Amino acid sequence: MMAQAGTAAKDAPLRKSSWKRTALIWLSRYGTIVGLLLMVVFFSANAPGIFLSRANFLNILSQASLTAIIASGLTYTLVVGEFDLSIGYVASFVGLIVTGLMAYQGFPIWLSIVCALLLGAAIGAFNGILVTKVRINAVISTLGVGTMLTGIGFTYSSFPIATGIPRAFTDIALGRLVFGLPNPVIIMVIVLIALWVILNKTDIGQKMQAVGGNLEAARLSGIRVDRIKIFAFATAGFCAALTGTLLSSLLGSGTLAAADGYLLDAFAAVFLGSATLKEGEFHITGTLVGVLILAVGFNGLSIFGAPTHFQPIFKGGILVLAVGMSALARRYAASA
Amino acid sequence: MRIRGLTKSFAGELALDHADLDIERGKVHGLVGANGAGKSTLIRCLAGVTVPDEGSVTVAGEDLPKGSPRASEQAGLAFIHQELNLIPHFNALQNILLGAPKVTRFGVIDWQRSGVAARAAAERVGIRFPLETKVSELSVAQRWLVMISKALVRDASMIAMDEPTASLSGPESEQLFAIIRDLSAQGVAILYVSHRLEEVLQLCDRITVLRDGRIVDAAERGTLDKKGLVRAIIGHDIRPPDERARFAADRSRQPIFSVRDVAWKSAVKGVSFDLHKGEVLALGGLVGAGRTELAHLVAGVARPDAGHFELDGKRLDIANEAQAVRAGIALVPEERRSQGVMLQQSVGFNINISTLKKLRAIPGLPFVSGRKARRQAEGLVAQLGIKTPGIETKIGGLSGGNQQKALIARWLNAGTKLLILDEPSRGVDVGAREEIHDAIRALARSGVGILAISSDVEELALLADRVLVMREGRISGELTGSDITEARIIELSYHDTNDAEGEIA
Repeated sequence: MMAQAGTAAKDAPLRKSSWKRTALIWLSRYGTIVGLLLMVVFFSANAPGIFLSRANFLNILSQASLTAIIASGLTYTLVVGEFDLSIGYVASFVGLIVTGLMAYQGFPIWLSIVCALLLGAAIGAFNGILVTKVRINAVISTLGVGTMLTGIGFTYSSFPIATGIPRAFTDIALGRLVFGLPNPVIIMVIVLIALWVILNKTDIGQKMQAVGGNLEAARLSGIRVDRIKIFAFATAGFCAALTGTLLSSLLGSGTLAAADGYLLDAFAAVFLGSATLKEGEFHITGTLVGVLILAVGFNGLSIFGAPTHFQPIFKGGILVLAVGMSALARRYAASA
Repeated sequence: MRIRGLTKSFAGELALDHADLDIERGKVHGLVGANGAGKSTLIRCLAGVTVPDEGSVTVAGEDLPKGSPRASEQAGLAFIHQELNLIPHFNALQNILLGAPKVTRFGVIDWQRSGVAARAAAERVGIRFPLETKVSELSVAQRWLVMISKALVRDASMIAMDEPTASLSGPESEQLFAIIRDLSAQGVAILYVSHRLEEVLQLCDRITVLRDGRIVDAAERGTLDKKGLVRAIIGHDIRPPDERARFAADRSRQPIFSVRDVAWKSAVKGVSFDLHKGEVLALGGLVGAGRTELAHLVAGVARPDAGHFELDGKRLDIANEAQAVRAGIALVPEERRSQGVMLQQSVGFNINISTLKKLRAIPGLPFVSGRKARRQAEGLVAQLGIKTPGIETKIGGLSGGNQQKALIARWLNAGTKLLILDEPSRGVDVGAREEIHDAIRALARSGVGILAISSDVEELALLADRVLVMREGRISGELTGSDITEARIIELSYHDTNDAEGEIA
């Protein structure tokens, strides 16, 4: 931001408090990372034995992994300037279906999972088509689709599916195949790397950023805007399905509405992430930072024995704070 | 009303320079000038929407507070803009009374009694439809009557009208003129802003001409004719014809691009022309003449209702922008910030976005090669002389001219056959403008068809090898070689070639 000396006239009123401005810009870029480190230091100092242990760190990471997967999918829809409120419901729905396929339909594990993930991607693509081709506002269409999924899930199985699930399926989320790290953490790392590479190193990723950056300009550049958006929605659906499947594996059952709560976590994480390192842009690295803030925060709350109902207060507060910081970061980026 | 020394500048440019103007009750005052002459700024200052830097406005001897729309309204000034500010799903009566004091009974509006003043106003302007009709069901002409009634209910002593006849038919315009004359006879002052000089000459008691923010002429009815008015609008310092050698395309060969009888809504009415290899073809005319709409049709933003396009002799059928780009037609849009650049992204990103396929590390796999991307962006930055600290710099930090060059660079390696530039040097300084023009000309000579649109007559004269002037959706004339002068372009913007009265002997 140092290069913009030419806009001095416009910035004149802001000049008076330029140190404040610099501080705000710095805070809006690195504030989240500093916050994360401060939390880690605080919890380590106040609960050294409990917080600062390998077991607890692995616990934090495996809790974070499911949120990170669903949140990075959500990041894609926000990158293209859209919204997806259905991801939590998609995760719950697919989590139920994947167990049902094994318990009722007798599908092998691998086939159930493949079907589940494709189902998630298909629901996402359907959302994308509603938004781009039918032109229904994303908030409305994804909320409607998500609500419908809740009902369809109930029709499919009105009670949790707990029997008839092979042991090998629950072992997926509980196992530790590599370096003694929980499998969900490994899966998270793979998903994050894949999504990061697609977003930053491929044409479709560049086009997504162009679409989100300036829709009209992207259209005039010959980008098939609708397809790019549908791809982003499908990715979000796929990631939500992956989170839902892992959750069912972790719980050992398919339960209605089990993953609904991930919606808010994912939004809080993605918006925290957009205020990290960049000025209000959504990106995968930022989303990971956001997810870690939430996971460390929840972990600290429970270590200090805060009542469970403190969690929604923390979560909601973080969401509002995160969106606020993101908006602030964007405003300063625009005025710089 | 007296206006004295009204001055307003935007970003260092004077939009209005010490304008003095007296407006008397019972007279129709015309306000004319080219695009950007300062008409809108003047009106906005009066309406209190824009705060002038200097100067004063007094209404009936009292100073008008600056920058207060409410004070302007209370002083009896009413403004009717092209896009009428009516609420479509309210009926005419509700719209007329919107914001006016109403008679209430127990806190509930008594429409019957409140409506008395409104009905009287409606009578004055000759409204014949029931006032209970929803505005969305009214014609544009009828909406104008509603707006005028709205002004009258507020006891407006002056009504400003911006391009009232732009979307009215001939008879509707006549009806409006009758009402305007009637109102002025009743003592209301009218400020009438229009591009249609015939109307202004016919209707107005006094005509004020604005040019470059200054009032250059104020004439009573009958002292100015159309020729004189056109001269006043362009200014007396008509520059001698440019002696620059203009490229004369070989017309015997097949054109690169042809437009055949293209029509779209009421904006473009049966336009045909050919674009030849190597030439810079420019479209001139007033804002609203249909040039931007035509450019959008060519670039696939909208589909023409009639007619078609031919590229390299092949008929095109283009449904959207992506298909246009694949066919080799690209548009550098008028609104650079909102439609051209991705402000948050780097210069390199903005240049490469249309050629990602060519930048793949391995053909067939969708991975972009960072090395190829960098080489292409750096090459184009050097070729066009884009001034930037590096290709990683965010494009938002560059000057308008350099952003524009980056947008042109976007299409240089994209296999573009026809490049449309809408207002290529808007908001760009003179030096950068010349560089942009050089780049455009070089592109044309290399075989790319160039269609440039500009409202800046000076730019048209400087840039184009051939100029087509549009007026009200049609091509009103073609200028080539030494015929391309600012005066001729302006003239054609206001009348057709076949309009005998318009010919300057």
